[in-house]
Amino acid sequence: MLVRPPAVAVDAVEETCDETRLESELNDADPGVRSRAARALRGARSGIAGLCRRLEIEQVTSVRTALLTSLIRLKSPDVVERLAEFLRSENVALRSAVIEALQVMPDVALPTLERLLGDADSDVRIFAVDVLNELRHPEVPALLVRVLLQDDNVNVCLAALDGLADLDDDVLFDPLRAFVKRFPAVPNVQFVAKSLIRRIRGSA
Amino acid sequence: MITNTRRIGQPEVIITSDEYAKFCEYFYHKTGILFTEKKAYFVERRLTDCMERIGSTSFREYFSLLRFELSGAEWQQLVNELTVNETYFLREDYQFDALVRGMLPEIVKGRDRGATVRIWSLPCSTGEEPYSIAIHILENWARSDDFAIEISASDIDSRVIATAIEGTYAERSLHRLSPGLRRKYFSKISSDQFQLRDEIRQSIQFSACNAVDPLSMSKYRSIDVIFCRNLLIYFDDTSRRESVDLMYECLRPGGFICLGHAESMSKISSLFKPRKFGDTIVYQKVS
Repeated sequence: MLVRPPAVAVDAVEETCDETRLESELNDADPGVRSRAARALRGARSGIAGLCRRLEIEQVTSVRTALLTSLIRLKSPDVVERLAEFLRSENVALRSAVIEALQVMPDVALPTLERLLGDADSDVRIFAVDVLNELRHPEVPALLVRVLLQDDNVNVCLAALDGLADLDDDVLFDPLRAFVKRFPAVPNVQFVAKSLIRRIRGSA
Repeated sequence: MITNTRRIGQPEVIITSDEYAKFCEYFYHKTGILFTEKKAYFVERRLTDCMERIGSTSFREYFSLLRFELSGAEWQQLVNELTVNETYFLREDYQFDALVRGMLPEIVKGRDRGATVRIWSLPCSTGEEPYSIAIHILENWARSDDFAIEISASDIDSRVIATAIEGTYAERSLHRLSPGLRRKYFSKISSDQFQLRDEIRQSIQFSACNAVDPLSMSKYRSIDVIFCRNLLIYFDDTSRRESVDLMYECLRPGGFICLGHAESMSKISSLFKPRKFGDTIVYQKVS
């Protein structure tokens, strides 16, 4: 039978934002407590370090999501720099979650990503390109073209090509031709880049 | 020569079949909404309207704006244009079928007779959805008398809640209801106005709620099923994540979220497992 639910309390008082307590609760044994603490720190800029510390070791997906969602709400160059460090993590789930998080803060993430394109570790460069490929920012195409023309690692370049495939623009002609010449012995480069050149020609 | 070309709207705006396919693929990738060839006229017309509004005559140029504009304003504008919704009774009722045939039987498994089942309509707009859920359960779930079924309904807009509580609707809101259901659940109060009978109106608890506000959402707990249809699509990425994160907390372990037919959780969160019931996919909180 249908039963009218009790009325929702309208006089609930917001929990006092005791950041010291909340940061302690980020390490509580109960995942529910950790999630609530993460959400409660959503507006507290001083909580960024604590959220990131917990993020590094958090194993429960829902808590990790709450931590990252709060960090996204607190987005700043500091948050981006801290998150970018997790691109070096061996924890695949954490890395993937961080890539998704960086993709939703394009304005503040771009300078850090640009710096990471020069990282010594090609895996980090690939992850940076993965973020760029989904980033909504007018400078993304130029950065991806730069990767195509300058990065020595073919896998980084091919990752960039994935993002440029969306662009489908005449301005890619010259970079693509140059890219093909940079890796003449790599069949995948020849195939993918030349296919894209043909497609752009076809729609020009 | 351009082949397979559509010439639409203003003569100078041309979207080729390849461009249309490319747009649909991108739109699906970003929103989970899939437009088929059948929707081409609808999609192209709105695309053309948006292009004309900003003075763009090239699909390539417009697509580039959608893809890379920092503010995402034009993207959101287009999403709004392509997801305009009208609410009415029994809209997308295959999800209500999934509720009574799949979700509810699973939810009550192991629960005692008389136990509570909690359903939440968010956003509820002017009430058609929560009332439809109530009617559909009463009409189609044989065990509806065995459990205390609580239906809550919330919206951020207090004006639509007032309309919902009043429970008076025009003919066009009722067009999917059979004459039998109209007679059973409505009183005709004028030539084009019908009011829901008190027992249904009074069975729903309406309240204001902001789906991205933790405090507002914290008042709803142990929910078994949330109907959150055609809301998330209007949020930006950050708000969408926040809202889903908060709904996750509102649900019991194993609880379900029903999104709009064209929405997908896979682009928002990995906290839910997709479940297929009949013709619809819903999302279950992983225990």
